[in-house]
Amino acid sequence: MNSADEPVFIGHPTDAALTDQILDPVWAPKSRAWMPAFVFTGLGSLGLFALVFWTFWTGIGLWGSSIPVAWAFAITSFVWWIGIGHAGTFISAILLLFEQRWRTSINRFAEAMTLFAVVQAGIYPLIHLGRPWFFYWLAPYPATMKVWPNFKSALPWDMAAVSTYLMVSVLFWYMGLVPDLATARDRAPSRLRRTLYGIFALGWRGSARHQRHYRMAYGLLAGLATPLVLSVHSIVSCDFAITILPGWHSTIFPPYFVAGAIFSGFCMVVTLMVPIRRLYGLQNVITLKHLDNVCKMILATGLIVGYSYFCEFYLAYYSGDIYEQGTMFHSLTQATNSWTFWYTIFTNVVLVQAFWFRSVRQSPIIAFILTLFINAGMWTERFSLIVLSQQRDFLTSSWHAYHPTFVDWGILFGTLCFFAFLFLVFLRCVPFIALTELKELNRKMAKEAT
Amino acid sequence: MSADEDGRVSNDNGLVRLRRPSPEVASPWRSLDERDQTATYLASIGDDLGEATEPPSATSRRTFLQFLGASMSLAGLDGCARKQPAQILPYSITPDGAIPGVPREYATAMTLDGFATGLLVRSSEGRPTKVEGNPDHPTSRGKTTLLQQASLLQLYDPDRMRGVENRGRPSSWEALLALLCKDRSDAGAGLRILAEPTASPTFQRLLGLVASRHPGSKNTFWSAMPVLANTLAGAQLALGKRLQPRLDFARADVILTLDADFLTSMEDQLVYSRDWAARRRVASPGQAMSRLYTVECALSPTGTMADHRLARRSAEILQVARAIAAQLPTIAPELRGAVELDPAAARFAAAVARDLARCAPGSSLVVVGERQPPWLHALGWAMNAALGNLRTTAQAEDPVLLEGSQDLPALVHDMQAGAVDTLIILDGNPVYSTPPELGLEAAMDQVRERIYCADYHNETASRCTWVAPRAHYLESWGDGRAYDGTVSIVQPLIEALHGARPPIELLGALAGLSAPHAHALVRATHPASDWDAALQRGVVNDTTSPLVAITFGGAAAIAAALGTTIAPSPHVLELDFYLSPTVHDGRFTNNPWLLEQPEPTTKLTWENAALVAPALAKRLGLANEDVVELVCNGRALSVPVFISPGQADDAVALWLGYGRSGAESIASKRGVNAASLRTRSTLAFAPDARLRKLGLAQSLASMQTQRTMLGRPIALASTKAGYEANPGFTSEHKGEVASLMKPVPFEGLQWAMSIDLGLCTGCSSCMVACQAENNIPVVGKAEVEKNREMHWLRIDTYFTGEVDNPGVIHQPMMCQHCETAPCEYVCPVNATVHSPDGLNEMVYNRCVGTRFCSNNCPYKVRRFNWFDWNKRVAANQGSYQLAHNPEVTVRERGVMEKCSYCVQRIRGAEITAQIAHRMLAPGEVRSACQQACPTGAIEFGSLSHVESTMVKWRQEPRSYAVLNDQGTRPRTMYLARIDNPNPELA
Repeated sequence: MNSADEPVFIGHPTDAALTDQILDPVWAPKSRAWMPAFVFTGLGSLGLFALVFWTFWTGIGLWGSSIPVAWAFAITSFVWWIGIGHAGTFISAILLLFEQRWRTSINRFAEAMTLFAVVQAGIYPLIHLGRPWFFYWLAPYPATMKVWPNFKSALPWDMAAVSTYLMVSVLFWYMGLVPDLATARDRAPSRLRRTLYGIFALGWRGSARHQRHYRMAYGLLAGLATPLVLSVHSIVSCDFAITILPGWHSTIFPPYFVAGAIFSGFCMVVTLMVPIRRLYGLQNVITLKHLDNVCKMILATGLIVGYSYFCEFYLAYYSGDIYEQGTMFHSLTQATNSWTFWYTIFTNVVLVQAFWFRSVRQSPIIAFILTLFINAGMWTERFSLIVLSQQRDFLTSSWHAYHPTFVDWGILFGTLCFFAFLFLVFLRCVPFIALTELKELNRKMAKEAT
Repeated sequence: MSADEDGRVSNDNGLVRLRRPSPEVASPWRSLDERDQTATYLASIGDDLGEATEPPSATSRRTFLQFLGASMSLAGLDGCARKQPAQILPYSITPDGAIPGVPREYATAMTLDGFATGLLVRSSEGRPTKVEGNPDHPTSRGKTTLLQQASLLQLYDPDRMRGVENRGRPSSWEALLALLCKDRSDAGAGLRILAEPTASPTFQRLLGLVASRHPGSKNTFWSAMPVLANTLAGAQLALGKRLQPRLDFARADVILTLDADFLTSMEDQLVYSRDWAARRRVASPGQAMSRLYTVECALSPTGTMADHRLARRSAEILQVARAIAAQLPTIAPELRGAVELDPAAARFAAAVARDLARCAPGSSLVVVGERQPPWLHALGWAMNAALGNLRTTAQAEDPVLLEGSQDLPALVHDMQAGAVDTLIILDGNPVYSTPPELGLEAAMDQVRERIYCADYHNETASRCTWVAPRAHYLESWGDGRAYDGTVSIVQPLIEALHGARPPIELLGALAGLSAPHAHALVRATHPASDWDAALQRGVVNDTTSPLVAITFGGAAAIAAALGTTIAPSPHVLELDFYLSPTVHDGRFTNNPWLLEQPEPTTKLTWENAALVAPALAKRLGLANEDVVELVCNGRALSVPVFISPGQADDAVALWLGYGRSGAESIASKRGVNAASLRTRSTLAFAPDARLRKLGLAQSLASMQTQRTMLGRPIALASTKAGYEANPGFTSEHKGEVASLMKPVPFEGLQWAMSIDLGLCTGCSSCMVACQAENNIPVVGKAEVEKNREMHWLRIDTYFTGEVDNPGVIHQPMMCQHCETAPCEYVCPVNATVHSPDGLNEMVYNRCVGTRFCSNNCPYKVRRFNWFDWNKRVAANQGSYQLAHNPEVTVRERGVMEKCSYCVQRIRGAEITAQIAHRMLAPGEVRSACQQACPTGAIEFGSLSHVESTMVKWRQEPRSYAVLNDQGTRPRTMYLARIDNPNPELA
């Protein structure tokens, strides 16, 4: 079957049947795997909090960072998580504005993914401060001493960009949820749930007036969120691009980072989408068409990322700058921890080419495995960019190889758990497919069919 | 406490100490210290209580409540994690002329290896806080070595001995002195004194008194490495008299050193460094400079500065010297004759001989190191005589050190024979440092009373019946003589911290004085001198030794001695022992500053290692940190290997001073004890060592792992000829870099620094000076391995050229105070900003610790407080904190720090000038590193003082800025190193 023929929704169920299908997992765990996963990730999250507390108590000397590698796991993971968040916004905002039908089935949990990824990302810059209790000094608040942040530094930009992103993401996600919360309120089996959903549904009754205002606000928010897809990671990339460190000092970073972000975000979407689709039996809602489209996005952004790698090397060669060349041709490729660079090339340049084949794009299991590799590849990409450049800079006397400690690993693992934990809670609390929009799509497609 | 009937009295005694401390306890320093050492103090109280004979049930209510109150109040001290309770004591009786907050400087002197060096020590509210050289002292001339700088911390070492002990039980000075003062029936036949080498006039006078009271007594001087023994014996052979050389490097055009590290290891090193530097500074292209040839085994700072260096086993150096001597046209005929050498050495020897012969008579110099045998010293005199140097560069004076009446083997023999009943050991650590074959340790059991006056409960202390704390030079009166004979009075700056007293008081008691006090003893030695002037200037006038007229007449004797020597066979592994450049013979091994001080050539910290040449490592398949078993003189040692380029093949070098097993908490179990492999005849080097790889690895903490510049323009160098041909060879590394930004105007005083790489010997005196001045914490070996050391100033040492005989260049690297500093614009909270007078400032209070500044610093000179080092690392805690400079903030965890150009000194000088209504004068502000630097390689000042040396230096053609192309406009400029190689050897 041609992928163009693959529908974005299979069958023509009634509204009631569709509602039951989507809301069922909220009322009762449909999968036996949910509870063990919930407990495991919950414990992992507690581990994260314990390690963060220990770091606060003792100092970030617990990590493997040093001079010259002052930024390592924390900033790597920060950039990685922020990047993952980008796919959600891309799907919900940009695809909405372009009126892409295939966004409907996956936008809700992609947005949730964004939200939870940004939460993980937000943890890192805070805990990586030497004196985290003064984190608010980075914000332009009216201090009694009349000191302001240094607006020339990229870190206050970062703080503004990430907090804006988090806020808009929360609003956008919640705004989309309101009609579905009303459905949940109406269908809730217990009084307590009815009350709770009722409160959060903000009195939604689905009247034409409600619908009109809702659409207008949703469109506006989409318009607001769209530039954020470009701006947030551009600004994050400035943490590196504004420095003079070879390997960081590069003008192609903003577009390169944005492409990498969307690339990694879509990979994470596949990683989450495939098991959800299978465990909750949503093959009719999340079809191979979705998988195919997402994989095409991965391929497109992956090619941009690969091209950026090439550009970086070419520019280093063409610049004639010995430090830049030293970084690109030695520090990146043949130093301690250089395997991360080669692994990145393997996944992000070589492995991603598999998505040229429709059979790969439309095979959930193969796509799932590939995206797992690429997710890790995006992390190592950030790692090699950040850490390998610092390991060897201008003066050879200060060169030093970075070695993470178990606290570094533990915090990374902990945020993965915390992310999964939040996602598991999300699956059981709200409809993780945009139900109202789906019903709309169902009717629209039924109409078109007749 | 005795088995008293009244147990309460015993108990009360314990408590009386607590409530009403003894006079020692009442002294502020003792009291503060004990608060920092609560656990120890409680334990000591516990001991007292434990001796009570009364059963616990008999404790009276009153006593119980006293205990309760005492334990509560002391427990509170332990409970505060963050704020240390420190009793604030009123400065109620202010010494005359003292202004609170204004430090005062006192002249005193530090004695090391027998020779005193005059110092000026800063006292901040009664605490000595910084050591500087005394400009009026002839062998300091205002400069200091790193050991002198670090000796300050030694004073505050919490591990120092705390009181007199007799057989492990607390006793008193009174008891000990009374014991020593007792008359003896045997006319002193069983009395022996074993002391460190010394030249102290008071020591000498008291020794004389002891000898007249106990005519049968004998004394012995011992140090881990002999001081001048071979040198004096060599002079005897060559000049017919035991004389010590007085060398003048300032008049030498060509210098040949034979195993002589005159820049950092010889007795008069500060004078030598300065004189040598005077002839190495090239103010303009074409200026004459001296040429330095070095033959040595392990790479020394002198070797790193040599224009030509030949690395040979220590035993081979004699052959090289003979070959050079034989080729001098004017050498005594007995010393001619062909010597077999390998081609490289032969080529070197021929070129050196021709170069020496070309010099005008009296303008060259041959220096021989103490590690070499007397006949090589004599051969050195023969060469100097042949070159006409005896009246110019190589002169002689009478030896300054006291000579013992018995040598150590004879002493041990007497002890073994049971002829000794009282052995008095004054300082030193002979049980640790003597060769095991001497059997000193076992022989001590044959001596009834073994009395030891020293700093620590070390290896020797554990073998003695009486131990008594020795006073540090900053807390006791004393005197000493410099290498040139000049007498200095040692003046205390602080009441003895642990009731310590100087060894001369023990000698006084031995001489029959009932209550000897160091001040009276010293005063009595110098009755005629103007005491106050001597104290103020730090030297006693007219005490310098006169030069002795010498004539060389030992050619036949040398030839005879040389005839008996055998050239070492090739490829026999030699084991070389060196005093550690940082912890010396082990006396400084409990000094955290020195343990964390990178050794100048290997950059190793905290431990010693078996240093091997790259070629040897390759042949034996060794890599850094491989553990090997080293067998020598029938003893074995497991030690990790470290590859040291520039070392002679077939030689393994080991530093003494490590592998200590005393009770010092920091020193113990650091490295291995190289002294245990030595014998009487192989104190400096031993032939026929064997080395076996064990297949284990042990980590070593080297502060610089990448040792080459990879072609990057970091530390620049040229040759004299190259500089003349192309004076502007550094021009592309300085000057304006195109920028879109408007230049920032800088007016008025603008601080800057100029560093001459041609003069930096890597001696590291500046690093310790910086550490002491700026309260820089130590971090420990594990953190050094993670590159978290805190030194604001480091010395980068790069190797150039081939790995077996590399060129070496040292580059002091600290904050460059860039005019357009990359660190400043990336700081999100404005914690690092630029001052109007051109300083890159750190605002600790504002820093949140993002470390963005460090990432953007191309020089990587910023240091981060990964932990609260002052709380986490024992070596920064307790009484060590008394060494802190009150002018400099102690940094909290999580903040960045770096070189401030000694901003506290700048501001202090500005305030002084402002009060006097005048402008700051050129040279008025000196940075700590500048002040300490023995060769004067660092100049600091304001750019507005255009006449100053600092500004003149940067106008020289060879000046440059490191990473100038990055547009950072650094305020620190370097002068490229200029070497003066012999074209014949190029």
